[in-house]
Amino acid sequence: MTTSGLAVPSWGGVAASLLLVAVAAAVAYRERLGLTRDIVVAAARAGLQLIAAGAILLLLFRWAGLPGAAGWVTAMILIAGQVAGRRGMGVPRARIAATVGVAAGTAVTLGTLVIARVIDAQAPVIVPLGGMIVSAAMQAAGIALRRLREDAHAARPAIEARLCLGQSARDAFLPHQRSALRTALIPAIDATKVVGLISLPGAMTGLILAGVDPLTAIRYQIVVMYMLLATTALAAFTCARLAERALFDRAHRLISLPPPPHRA
Amino acid sequence: MMKLLMAVDGFLLERVSVVCGEAIVLRQVSAHFPGGRCSAVRGASGSGKTTLLRLLNRLIDPTAGRVLLDGAPLTELDVLVLRRRVGLVAQAPVLLTDAVLDEIRVGRPDLSQRRVTELLERVGLGEKFATRPTSGLSGGEAQRLCLARSLAVEPEVLLLDEPTSALDGPSATIIATLVRDHVNEGGTVVLVSHDPALVGGVAERVFELNRGRVIADRGAGDIDHPSSR
Repeated sequence: MTTSGLAVPSWGGVAASLLLVAVAAAVAYRERLGLTRDIVVAAARAGLQLIAAGAILLLLFRWAGLPGAAGWVTAMILIAGQVAGRRGMGVPRARIAATVGVAAGTAVTLGTLVIARVIDAQAPVIVPLGGMIVSAAMQAAGIALRRLREDAHAARPAIEARLCLGQSARDAFLPHQRSALRTALIPAIDATKVVGLISLPGAMTGLILAGVDPLTAIRYQIVVMYMLLATTALAAFTCARLAERALFDRAHRLISLPPPPHRA
Repeated sequence: MMKLLMAVDGFLLERVSVVCGEAIVLRQVSAHFPGGRCSAVRGASGSGKTTLLRLLNRLIDPTAGRVLLDGAPLTELDVLVLRRRVGLVAQAPVLLTDAVLDEIRVGRPDLSQRRVTELLERVGLGEKFATRPTSGLSGGEAQRLCLARSLAVEPEVLLLDEPTSALDGPSATIIATLVRDHVNEGGTVVLVSHDPALVGGVAERVFELNRGRVIADRGAGDIDHPSSR
């Protein structure tokens, strides 16, 4: 099978690539990592999920058009909010904060690109770009929430010392919020710095594989990198502000939080 | 300069109880910490002394009962204004910045260099201390720096939790002098301390806590002074 002259793996080829999963599973088994089952389950899930996604996207692109794409992106936002919200377990309304953060980052970024006509408002464009945006927003919101939750527990004496000097909850928590936002943004900034040098990112790789010439592919990739920076910043900021409000009561007191779960 | 707005009433605790989870930390505590005076709270570890101090600037609220300042329930006061009027210095010093100068200015970013020097001298750290980083300070230096940081906000009431726990004799004397000066200027001090010399030297009233209950409330004439033992 080919697309623009380039070979695309047949279903037989996809099945043959399972050998690579077997290699990973064999390494895990031999080194007694206790991850063999996880690798097999992850590979099976990835295959099934992508087949299902491909089938749904096919139907969506053919029959549902732009409303279907909007529904798809909305569903991704809701799922991403649940996943990122788990990182802030213990923070009241963490999942709502994460969902709103992901939604804000996605809506502003995708909306700007569509309104400015940088991208076409068509389902085959909105869905993949929306997926990249939602994924980046989810990671940023999750990192910010986890860091805020850890700081709210570990830095309680410092936060209370600031409250005792008459600072508002917002001011007392600001150093920790900044730290959480820096932690959430650094991966996106680093990825932007080295793009093209040590990695050829997904959108560009996909376009090149599809036969688009590299100078055209990079234009898409530049837009993608900039939109990921924006969505990361917006999602982390919105999520952090909402989480901060949930962490303090009306008398500017940090609420009690159970210790964060131990991470090996 | 310190605002002498303190009425005679001071703090009044009316049948205050605090429950944390299943633990009853304070049980039906009634007490009066008069304005313009120094009161001390003593008791064994876990008797509820620190919890009592945290009630007075609303870091916690009572589960039952109420706390009044100058006749007004604390819950009716603006909590941010209250916390600037009532400065709490915790037992374990927590430094918030990298430099001594920045540390003193956390609650008062506009504090003049001259005032910074005055505060450092008041807690016995000296003018040159202002140029030092906060890393590498001893426990006693950090404790006094936290006290200076709180004084920078010019609180009417000082809540001091074991202020001499990391200090040697001469430094502890500086704290006693500071407490007396604060009271002489019209301020109020509520002190939690195991140090009999400090309590005997500055407190006009002493409350003994045991397992969350006030078991003794003694005036100036009844306080055990170390010299009288």
